[in-house]
Amino acid sequence: MHRPAEFRPAGATVRPGPGIPYPLQRAYVRLMMWLVGRLLQASSAVDPVIMREVAELPPGFAFAMRVRAGGPGFAMCEQDGRLRLMPLQQAGRLQLSFDFKHLTHAFLVLGFVEGTAVSFARDRMSVDGNLGAGMKIVRCLNRMEAVVLPKFVARRALKAYPPIGLGEKLAAATRIYARMLLQLVGGK
Amino acid sequence: MSQEFFEFFCPVKIAAGYKALEHIPFELEVRGASRPLLLSDAGVVAAGLVDTVTGAMGSGGASAGPLFDQVPPDSSMASVRAAVALYRERDCDSIIAIGGGSVMDTAKAVNILATEGGEDLQRFAGANNLTRPLKPFIAIPTTAGTGSEVTAVSIIKDEDSGTKMPFMSQFLLPDVAVIDPRTTLKLPALITAATALDALTHASEAFTCLAKNPLSDAYASAAITRIARSLIPVLDEPADAGGRLELALAAAMAGVAFNNSMVGLVHALGHSVGAIAGVHHGMCMGIFLPHVLRYNLDARREEIGEMLLYLAGPEIYASTPHSGRATAAIACIEALRDQAHQRCGLPRTLAETGKVQREDLPRIAAMSLDDGSMIFNPAEVGYDDALAVLEQAWA
Ligand SMILES: [Fe+2]
Repeated sequence: MHRPAEFRPAGATVRPGPGIPYPLQRAYVRLMMWLVGRLLQASSAVDPVIMREVAELPPGFAFAMRVRAGGPGFAMCEQDGRLRLMPLQQAGRLQLSFDFKHLTHAFLVLGFVEGTAVSFARDRMSVDGNLGAGMKIVRCLNRMEAVVLPKFVARRALKAYPPIGLGEKLAAATRIYARMLLQLVGGK
Repeated sequence: MSQEFFEFFCPVKIAAGYKALEHIPFELEVRGASRPLLLSDAGVVAAGLVDTVTGAMGSGGASAGPLFDQVPPDSSMASVRAAVALYRERDCDSIIAIGGGSVMDTAKAVNILATEGGEDLQRFAGANNLTRPLKPFIAIPTTAGTGSEVTAVSIIKDEDSGTKMPFMSQFLLPDVAVIDPRTTLKLPALITAATALDALTHASEAFTCLAKNPLSDAYASAAITRIARSLIPVLDEPADAGGRLELALAAAMAGVAFNNSMVGLVHALGHSVGAIAGVHHGMCMGIFLPHVLRYNLDARREEIGEMLLYLAGPEIYASTPHSGRATAAIACIEALRDQAHQRCGLPRTLAETGKVQREDLPRIAAMSLDDGSMIFNPAEVGYDDALAVLEQAWA
């Protein structure tokens, strides 16, 4: 018999986790949660693919991605057709949450070693709430990763790298990063 | 070390085989219960199956308890409330569900309110919103397909809002699934075939999707083996109790597999066709399964190839070169579907269902993208991909 089958995107041979001290993992996850939230907020204002998905969310739809038991994370809600960050502690009733069961699991996903779908399939996170809207959020995350990450990194995190030309990718990434900087400078 | 991780959970006692129904009084007794509410629907009552169950219980001197037989084909809030009212009025202490998926779903929801009290089912909707075990619950499936007797999910239609409320909790799992060949013996050929293909799809998707794991693989492969060898013989000889039992066992094993490993694109498409065109779930499964396996071929060639062993047996598996096994497995499933078509008219294409309009395919594709099952499909699926699979399945 062949060995137990598994889904591992090509090139994903990094073995982080036990080797990396938890304080470092925590710092990295905190930074990346911050960055991913910011990038999603920016891309929901400028990227047409993501804007189409956000437009279909229920009005005021609120969701969070976080490490369980008060670990790092971010919360967002739909507002006027865009996604806006909101303080995790103040987030009221969420319609959807992605809760990583352990810090290292978030580290794997945010380190782009493992995709969101695989993390969910391996029971490393619990996804609670409106799963239909959750699929839209997952597609937003996938699109954002495909655009803003270098291709060799994004290929590890996604089931399939979408057919985007380099020109389109660079233009879209530039728009998103520029919008993020603008929002940071503008204090929004 | 590998980063693999999985969870597997199935605390349901399976009581299966000869005179399984006669064990129900014992199963109630060891759980401290004596006044079960029987839940069923008009069709199951008309088929005489509730009488079969109460007769089996009474043969040992036990009394069966009150019967609620008004479960609609699509489980509804109103019927849950009515059943809970009867449960309370008759001071019941346990639940026995006799029926298909809708009866099972209703029984799970009834058990929530019977245990937790009150009328507000909504607050338990979603995942993991129950925190303690419910009342003793015995499930007797009368179709060999959904696997609801071993799954931790219930879907209830809320007529007021027009939405479907999902409930997911390990506490929804029945305590006992009673699998007795008598309960599926009179199932019409078309329903037998459609529900068997639903079970085959549960096993195939559990075996090929992202959340597969060694334990669910064991259940899935055992289910595929039994469906492949028993479906056609049972269609040819409906009174074949041994074959019926194999199909019912397979449905339960496939249920255990997908309750732990989830399903993928076949179900995402099937849920949408069901919602938009009202096609029987099992028929959708039979139509889409081969096309989706072909779509997933690049991502899952090895696993689909291994399925040939369970579908066709060791002789054919061994004589088929490694590189050809996956396509041979898909051909086996198509052959099974076609043989069922010859015997009972099971639709092979969306067009043959007579219910789907070709203009609806784009809407079905769009809807299926938002189905939660989609995330577990091994290959990424975009709108164009989903539409292409629907077009292939059209005719
Ligand atoms: Fe199914």
